[in-house]
Amino acid sequence: MLEVKDLYVKLADEDRTILNGLTLKVKAGEVHAIMGPNGSGKSTLSYVLAGREGYEVTGGEARFKGEDLLDMAPDQRAAKGLFLAFQYPIEIPGVATMQFLKVALNSQRKARGEKELTTPEFMRIVKERAARLGISQDMLKRAVNVGFSGGEKKRAEILQMAVLEPSLCILDETDSGLDIDALRVVADGVNALRSPERAMVVITHYQRLLDYIVPDFVHVLSQGRIVKSGGKELALELEAKGYAEFTREAA
Amino acid sequence: MNVAVNKTPAELAYDGMLLPHPRLEDWKWTNLRTLIDRPYPPRIAVTALPRDVERLLKRDPLAMIAHARIVFVNGLFDKAASALPAGGAVKVTQQLAPLDNTDEPVLEMNRAFAGEGVHIEITSNIDAPVEIVHVATDAEARTIATRHRITIADGASATVLEIHLGEGDYLTNSVIDVALGAGAKLDRVKLEIESRDAIHLAHARITLGRDAVLRDFTLTSGARVNRQNATVNFAGEKADAKIAGSYLLSGKQHADTRLVIDHQVPKCTSREIFKCVMDEKARGIFQGKVIVQRDAQKTDGKQSSHGLLLSETAEFDAKPELEIYADDVVCGHGATSGDIDHNHLFYLRSRGIPEPEAKSMLIAAFVGEAFDTISHDDVREQLTRFAETWLVDHKETVR
Repeated sequence: MLEVKDLYVKLADEDRTILNGLTLKVKAGEVHAIMGPNGSGKSTLSYVLAGREGYEVTGGEARFKGEDLLDMAPDQRAAKGLFLAFQYPIEIPGVATMQFLKVALNSQRKARGEKELTTPEFMRIVKERAARLGISQDMLKRAVNVGFSGGEKKRAEILQMAVLEPSLCILDETDSGLDIDALRVVADGVNALRSPERAMVVITHYQRLLDYIVPDFVHVLSQGRIVKSGGKELALELEAKGYAEFTREAA
Repeated sequence: MNVAVNKTPAELAYDGMLLPHPRLEDWKWTNLRTLIDRPYPPRIAVTALPRDVERLLKRDPLAMIAHARIVFVNGLFDKAASALPAGGAVKVTQQLAPLDNTDEPVLEMNRAFAGEGVHIEITSNIDAPVEIVHVATDAEARTIATRHRITIADGASATVLEIHLGEGDYLTNSVIDVALGAGAKLDRVKLEIESRDAIHLAHARITLGRDAVLRDFTLTSGARVNRQNATVNFAGEKADAKIAGSYLLSGKQHADTRLVIDHQVPKCTSREIFKCVMDEKARGIFQGKVIVQRDAQKTDGKQSSHGLLLSETAEFDAKPELEIYADDVVCGHGATSGDIDHNHLFYLRSRGIPEPEAKSMLIAAFVGEAFDTISHDDVREQLTRFAETWLVDHKETVR
């Protein structure tokens, strides 16, 4: 599904290297957790994979379903099945949530050569999936993320994921800013999307989220590279000992 | 006219008419002496083929909405192409309203050159819009001048649509006088989608009676040079006017709006909201002045103008002015200018929306606040669709 090999990334307008030879292999059906301290490159990894401007790849490669991911525009990556759940979902005043979701879904379908959905077909899908995530009709009527609480924004991200049905989901600190109840709703939404055809990369600072979204693999990211990989027990170990050991090792 | 200077080629080109000098404060951004760079003689009779008129009328996105339609072709009333209301609350008379001497250049040109016009009288409440469509057919470069009058009787209400479209090289000079009686309500929507070679000069003079409500919206997108003046006078207490506009400009288009809101009496409310989008080398200008006379206590006047620049070479100039002589008023203004928010764009694209469509969504979202001034749902929807497809349409035209 996703193959990142020896990836080096720097900021485009600054001489600062963020990712230092990162390697990561994710197969269909797997859930990988990437944990690391602040500044270790977690968000950069998610943004580079999603295609955000402002970064320069100076070495290595990233392949998605066998194709060069870094060569694709952000919308092409999405149409191919990549989805990034933002740490801080963007508020877009004036753009209605439903219209946004419909244009997004139909743009992706069009790019893949599939038939575009009619408004009633689309409405049915959204209503059904919104209900499961406890998202009210009122929220859907508002502009994209505008006036949403932190928890509502994260739920809206998961709703987008549920509607767009990507094959690779990257969740960037989805737990940040959530209380325990909201965390459970979001985690249930994510778990409902787990399937043998779908892979997930869960980026998080804290182990807490991984109690709800149980990963198959855990990787420790430090100073732009993965310094240790293991099973879900590695997350518990990190929770007990902290990141100190890894930051020291990397230094 | 108080512009005593030597004649330039442009003035000579406009039948000897003195064009405003850019040293005049109101005209500093729009130098007609250089922008009018070829002759546009007035009173040129042009024969229009009915099939050309029919074809051009199809460009009017509001055609299906209007319930009565008054068509002007090359400055002359075209009865065959019009669909006049069958009496009742709407009365249409072919009539050129008188125009006094002024020192306003657009009015002066109109006084000299306008040949025909109509007087639309609305005597009670009508729901379906009345439309005046101005069509210019492809012919020799010339000046086309019209002058209309709209009167809304006390307590009456209406939606009036004003469309300007055409093909070829011409200069439109359009003057409209609007009077709202006591408690009258008017939704005025103007759509300027002239030919890309055209020059559009306009002046609207609007007077509001007591308790009158005006919702005025202008979409400017067609002509290569556009200058629109409007004066809004509050003549009766507790009247309420919202004047909004939007530019969708590309290439080297130039659009300049000069708006003067004159609060002469107490307790009136005015709102101005302009949302202007400029791509490539286009230039948008907004000059808005709010005057609050000494007697106009309890005036509530707010003005805002915002530019969205889609390229490094596009430009937006705003000149808000407040002139306040009363002491118990609430007035304010704001002007901003910026480019597309890259975080917004990335977010939309990360969900699979290609760049042109994503930008179009953000453009429509930006202008939305101005479009919300339009009360009539179908009219607002049609014009919103125009805004949503504008970027892709004009990029294709260029290619």
